[in-house]
Amino acid sequence: MSIRSMTVSRPQRWDVRFGADMTDAAVDGLLARPEIAAISADNFPQHVSLRGILLNDARIVAFEPGDIVVREGDYGSSAFLILSGQLRVVLAPGLPGDALGRQPALKRTFLETLSQLWTNRRIPEVRDPQRYRDRHLASRRAKDGAARVFIQDLPAVLDKHRTAVLEAGAIFGELAALGRVPRTATILAEKPSQLLEIRWQGLRELRRYDPGWKRQIDATYRRNALQTHIEADPLFAGLSPVARDAVVTRVKFKTYGSFDWHVSYKQMRGTAEAAQADEPVIAAEGTRPDGIYLVRAGFARVSVPLGSDRRTLSYLGAGDHFGLEETYQAWKSGEPVYLKRSLTALGYVDVLRVPAHVLEKHVFPSLPAPAPLASLERPIADDAFVEWLVDERFINSTQAMLIDLDRCVRCDDCVRACASTHGGNPRFVRHGPVFDHWMVANACMHCRDPVCMIGCPTGAIHRHEAAGVVVINDDTCIGCGTCANSCPYDNIRLVEVADRNGTPLSDESGRAIVKATKCDLCADQPGGPACARACPHDALRRVDANTLVSG
Amino acid sequence: MRATRTNTLIVWITAAALAALGYWHEVTRRGLGDPTFVTGYMLFTLMVFLSLYNGRKKLSMISLGRVSTWLSLHVVAGFVAVVLFVTHAGTLWPQGWADRALALLFYLVTLSGVAGYALQLWLPGRLTRSGPEIIYERIPAEIAGLRDAAEQAVTDAAAQSGFDTLGRYYVQTLSWYFARPRYWLSHVFGGRYAEFWLQRRLATIRRHLSEAERSALGRLAELGAAKTAVDAQHAMQSVLKGWTLIHVPLAAALLTVATWHLILVHVYAR
Repeated sequence: MSIRSMTVSRPQRWDVRFGADMTDAAVDGLLARPEIAAISADNFPQHVSLRGILLNDARIVAFEPGDIVVREGDYGSSAFLILSGQLRVVLAPGLPGDALGRQPALKRTFLETLSQLWTNRRIPEVRDPQRYRDRHLASRRAKDGAARVFIQDLPAVLDKHRTAVLEAGAIFGELAALGRVPRTATILAEKPSQLLEIRWQGLRELRRYDPGWKRQIDATYRRNALQTHIEADPLFAGLSPVARDAVVTRVKFKTYGSFDWHVSYKQMRGTAEAAQADEPVIAAEGTRPDGIYLVRAGFARVSVPLGSDRRTLSYLGAGDHFGLEETYQAWKSGEPVYLKRSLTALGYVDVLRVPAHVLEKHVFPSLPAPAPLASLERPIADDAFVEWLVDERFINSTQAMLIDLDRCVRCDDCVRACASTHGGNPRFVRHGPVFDHWMVANACMHCRDPVCMIGCPTGAIHRHEAAGVVVINDDTCIGCGTCANSCPYDNIRLVEVADRNGTPLSDESGRAIVKATKCDLCADQPGGPACARACPHDALRRVDANTLVSG
Repeated sequence: MRATRTNTLIVWITAAALAALGYWHEVTRRGLGDPTFVTGYMLFTLMVFLSLYNGRKKLSMISLGRVSTWLSLHVVAGFVAVVLFVTHAGTLWPQGWADRALALLFYLVTLSGVAGYALQLWLPGRLTRSGPEIIYERIPAEIAGLRDAAEQAVTDAAAQSGFDTLGRYYVQTLSWYFARPRYWLSHVFGGRYAEFWLQRRLATIRRHLSEAERSALGRLAELGAAKTAVDAQHAMQSVLKGWTLIHVPLAAALLTVATWHLILVHVYAR
């Protein structure tokens, strides 16, 4: 029997452009602008040319007055350069949540809770269509087909809130794009504006090959975020302001892995390739540490070689250190000390490196000796659970639904409780990957790194400020499915909605209205998640991955 | 940890309440008083409380405490009810058909409750280790998928080899196994009847098959093993879901008869 195969060209980085209508003429126009002309194209390697970046990693987007360009609290993967027009950045305390499409007040009263007994209908996913008509936010389709949310009464908003003007030539959004942190302010278009939107891949290359952009991005980061980050780290808590400033000015930062890790991970999940996917090395065992690494965002794996593969010992998340013990020992003993473990990026990780000479001068003299690294003599099997959590990326969870299958009697009371508190349709599936007798069910884990929030055109999916959980505002969700496609764990579902009579809602063209739904941790219900409360055997718990690992 | 503390507290309070009840009952009896009326009402109140557990499960949207705490209370209250019943009746098997019906129902509810609780402790661990976890409602689809795969393997083997030996054998014998869940009782009690049956049937036909059909037989063995695992899930999950269909209706009947008993006592006891 002959084996047939189909030949296809190998996928390349720039197969799909960020902006479908970017042309060479548009790039020529951009190259003539002073902000871009200042970049030396000769610094860029041939395979990542400046022209190529502008053509493939950037796009020109137009905004009308009132359009929201970025929203405070959103996660974003791109930065903007204003080409023309004028924008306003809303200063603290910012716009109210409802103006941004956020979920209104959460908790129900006792009577509202009780009324679900008779108001829950036999037909699931019933909505009041009037609610969608009454919403404050309005959305429209821009010329490029993208959804735009706009503030209807822009002058009133500008009068009521403190704002600052952003004009042509200003760059914003780069920290959120490179640092995987939420946008810190809302920015609106005040006049018709044209912006150059650069996705994070292109931005990373600009920072890497152009000293001007690197200087600007790094200076903004040092000014806005680094000081706070260093101050919050217990390692630097005892430093004088002068010493802390010295540390801040000498810290190096770098990102590893792919911002869009969830896309490739989702495709490979559950396959052998997923566990063996390339993980960029941040620090390799056997090398001399040139400082310590602080994880600012994302996750990294700590491992050692074992046989033909690697043994996972632990993982690091935001705020964790790597290499402290070895760097300290090298300073203390004066002898060369080598790293005993490797640190690799899991998907995407944003790392700060504090050079050894800075630590030796400012930190180590007053630092008690760090605890020695855990022994590798423990049985290999002891690490299997952590390895599973890492491979499945459950380390991202703050509220994973963990079911002890040795206690669970499969009564589905949890599913019924969820349905009864969510309009007759459960927001999770009692099924999922199993390790030994532990199952992590398909329920939103309210991730530390909520990739589902990247790209939501209306900001409907967001982290609720008070509750801290990731919720979807049903009123502003347009059912585009971006969040569902982004969730690496398949924990968001799109559902068709109906009116009180069970008639499916549809738009003017007859297409069904769909809404994204997921576990909201019963944020509006008194008493916490109904699933956990309903379990007769305490088999179901909502857990943070860190708690699981620490026992 | 919190649940353990709550359960310990429940057990201690119950033990103290039972000791107080025993003391009061003995004192009243020695004083030539009649404690039956009071113990009867206590028992009836306890029965009403026991029946509230099912209602609590239906009211999951209201914050009425964790259902696991309610279950602990339900189990302990059930135990106390047995003690109270014997104390109240003064015998294990009362006189008269009405009281005997009441006693019979009480014992059946108690037994089904104890059995159900024991099954809930025993079966989940076995379920976890019996193969891939499958949602109960998806089991028919899972079996249908295995059946389709088995029939496809047999059809392909017949087309490839030109023989219909395996096909006929499948229709006569093996299709029975793939039709629906089998060996329910054996799976519930951890027996291996299904494996034994399948191995014997596969071995019987093996020597009569062509090379292509033997390859298909290997595939049938794999599918059969998968079906056995699905059947085990079905058997144990159906027991876990089904026992309440005995316990709850019996409990409802008991409450009805107990209410009737209460009315009769008030009408005729004077």
